[in-house]
Amino acid sequence: RLAEAANAGPVGGVERDASVRGDSPSASTHTPPRARAPRLSPGALPRAPGSTPCDQRPGILAPRPPSAPGAAPRAPHPRSGRSLLGAPPRPPARAGSRARRRRRRSGRRARPPAAARRTPVAVAACGAAHGPAAGLASPRAPAPRPPPRARAHAPLLFCQLTAPPPRPAAPAADQGSWCLCQLNGAADLEVSEADIISTVEFNHTGELLATGDKGGRVVIFQREPESKNAPHSQGEYDVYSTFQSHEPEFDYLKSLEIEEKINKIKWLPQQNAAHSLLSTNDKTIKLWKITERDKRPEGYNLKDEEGKLKDLSTVTSLQVPVLKPMDLMVEVSPRRIFANGHTYHINSISVNSDCETYMSADDLRINLWHLAITDRSFNIVDIKPANMEDLTEVITASEFHPHHCNLFVYSSSKGSLRLCDMRAAALCDKHSKLFEEPEDPSNRSFFSEIISSVSDVKFSHSGRYMLTRDYLTVKVWDLNMEARPIETYQVHDYLRSKLCSLYENDCIFDKFECAWNGSDSVIMTGAYNNFFRMFDRNTKRDVTLEASRESSKPRAVLKPRRVCVGGKRRRDDISVDSLDFTKKILHTAWHPAENIIAIAATNNLYIFQDKVNSEMH
Amino acid sequence: MEFKLEAHRIVSISLGKIYNSRVQRGGIKLHKNLLVSLVLRSARQVYLSDPCPGLYLAGPAGIPAPPPQQLGEPAAGPPAGWGEPPPPAAGASWADTEPQPEGSAVSEAPRVGDAVPEATVTGVGVVPQGGAADAAKAAWSRVEGPRQAAAGEAEGPAGGWGVFPLGSRASRRPCGCPLGGEDSSGTPAATPRAACCCAPRPAEDEPPAPPAVCPRKRGAAGVGGGPTSFPAPGSTPLKKPRRNLEQPPSGGEDDDTEEMDTGNVANLISIFGSSFSGLLRKSPGGGREEEEGEKSGPEAAEPGQICCDKPVLRDMNPWSTAIVAF
Repeated sequence: RLAEAANAGPVGGVERDASVRGDSPSASTHTPPRARAPRLSPGALPRAPGSTPCDQRPGILAPRPPSAPGAAPRAPHPRSGRSLLGAPPRPPARAGSRARRRRRRSGRRARPPAAARRTPVAVAACGAAHGPAAGLASPRAPAPRPPPRARAHAPLLFCQLTAPPPRPAAPAADQGSWCLCQLNGAADLEVSEADIISTVEFNHTGELLATGDKGGRVVIFQREPESKNAPHSQGEYDVYSTFQSHEPEFDYLKSLEIEEKINKIKWLPQQNAAHSLLSTNDKTIKLWKITERDKRPEGYNLKDEEGKLKDLSTVTSLQVPVLKPMDLMVEVSPRRIFANGHTYHINSISVNSDCETYMSADDLRINLWHLAITDRSFNIVDIKPANMEDLTEVITASEFHPHHCNLFVYSSSKGSLRLCDMRAAALCDKHSKLFEEPEDPSNRSFFSEIISSVSDVKFSHSGRYMLTRDYLTVKVWDLNMEARPIETYQVHDYLRSKLCSLYENDCIFDKFECAWNGSDSVIMTGAYNNFFRMFDRNTKRDVTLEASRESSKPRAVLKPRRVCVGGKRRRDDISVDSLDFTKKILHTAWHPAENIIAIAATNNLYIFQDKVNSEMH
Repeated sequence: MEFKLEAHRIVSISLGKIYNSRVQRGGIKLHKNLLVSLVLRSARQVYLSDPCPGLYLAGPAGIPAPPPQQLGEPAAGPPAGWGEPPPPAAGASWADTEPQPEGSAVSEAPRVGDAVPEATVTGVGVVPQGGAADAAKAAWSRVEGPRQAAAGEAEGPAGGWGVFPLGSRASRRPCGCPLGGEDSSGTPAATPRAACCCAPRPAEDEPPAPPAVCPRKRGAAGVGGGPTSFPAPGSTPLKKPRRNLEQPPSGGEDDDTEEMDTGNVANLISIFGSSFSGLLRKSPGGGREEEEGEKSGPEAAEPGQICCDKPVLRDMNPWSTAIVAF
């Protein structure tokens, strides 16, 4: 099916398998927004002016295709994949995916879809409710994870500090049974640098998935609502909106070009019908508001439908304009631009649980912003030495605590984490807690400092643990213990002997991200050769999976991969020397409530789902 | 010995990275360059601490005998930046040998050519001092030179690497001083040696810097390929402690023309070197001297340095802005 999809025709010309879907084939009338996608002619940097909707600032309209008659009020999303590039046309990899993804989960736990959909939303509300009060409320953290199915309707505000206990009757699928949900992106061997995905992020409900790439574009996917016809099928992620978030800039003072690559995207908790997200490149953070418009006023007295003034002589009677439904349009507009706050390169942003402030961190400083104020920010951490020659470490990542709006953590290039409390002082240079593991002297090498540099730090959903990723390991830290992590998992220890080569080809500087699942029981991170690894904290089992077109057949469970390091070699093992270091999975995201993961492999976006264990445990 | 070779190679690669980071899109990335400089420091420490047996290996390829002879000649000429003692061919050979295996043919080629001149240059610095010292230095320069070439990442522009040759010529004196080696010897000529110079080699006389010590020095950083450009900043620190055994591989042609380039390169090195001096300071005491030397190169803080770095200092200004930008 994937192959078929890949050959399906020009950009946007998604040929739905109408027979399977049972819908009227409306693909022919479907005008994918891709046709007007922001710039994206392949490798086109800089963009041709006027060629993209992004030029129409402030708003960017991505008209949705007309809804098929009788379809749900919401028109189907544009079906093309992330093929924002004009040409070559990206294979609309999702053609037919809808049919393919008819997940018949008969025989499995019949989960009432209503409950499944309710819990994520409720979780979000719970989170939001706790946000502003986090500083005042009891220290107990709400349990954001949906409780097991049996308790789907239990009150959502019970708090727990640890991950919920594993489901009692869970099937013994320690490694899960992950299947490819969908694949977006071109299969070309020649990947233009602008298409390389640089960040992936689910929103708080998991309904939206945002990706940013090196060309400064943001693509938002929206999960289709589960149709009533197949209550057990899970919606797939369709392109919802695409826009050009950042453009390359030039700093004339320093004669430096500022890359437009999107470093991070963070969603704001939804507070009304609109969605908002923050996207940042090296220097500027932008707040984008995504709204839908499905009605427009018609019947103006002085203007006709096209907006031209009417000839007054033709106006014989007055009418009151009424709102008529129209094709659903997704509008994206930059609401705030937070510029000139950073001297060095921004590496992370994090929205506070109070939903009013957020912080942005560059190499040496962390600034606190208010979402409504763009001309001012407060510097809360400054590790720049008076004499730059004394510089020994930089900030590599930072995040706010998910529940306590006064706590945040930042990681350094030396492998340490610092937890700071904003109540202690205005400038949080002095940490409240320092999490550092003494170095193992037996592993000392030239590159010890590089591989101990933390590339990503993530709080668990419960707020009690932190997950850090350095070059070879992921570590779980308990906020209550500073001396060492409580768990350390080797991601690809076989690279330890190859550090020199990795240093030469710059791979040792790759910054991998890590992710928790919704229940904080499984952690995931990427590796090379398009492998990604998951570690189950409860069973202590781990699995290595591959995100590739060849090995991902629709509906087929991903086969675990293994890297052999000498010794006995099994049949499908890959040897360390045959790993492809150009194929790296740096960015991954896990749905906040379900077992759905989004993996960015260079220019392709894979969405995998564990259909067997669709709920967290 | 393998450790030294490895360290040398790593230093070369690191310097190349730092150099290349200047032209990368998006500006210089502080984090990556910091990590690279940490590696540089580690490699330098290993390099310096490891007792180096055969510094003056008679390398097969590499620098031919000329250097020694040239020693005499150039003396006056190019500011033997590095003051690497243009050692007799033998010494150079070691340097040559070392880098050769590493390989970048590209850089090597020019290097060799340059090496000779470099040696000369170095010799210049050295020359004043004394034959022996010079020889020792030259040897070092040579060693480093080829090393630099080998480092290869650099290609010509590795200028930074080229720096090495430069270094040897002018700026670097690194070795002499630093660790200990000879401080006083400070090659006089090493004037331009701005950067790393181990600081104090006041140039004038370089007592036959303990050959053992010398060779180590610069080599690693050198890779730089030819005269051109700017030596990787990292090289600066490295240089200091080590004696630039190798004559910058750049060799002959670099000589005079390189002088000018070297000066700039040396400045650059010193500039970058000073940027990372913090790291360097944390290294063992020996490093400290070097660093100081390096930085002071531009700052002319150390007396020994001053002599040799004057020319360098003059060129500092353009680079200071680069540092600020960095």
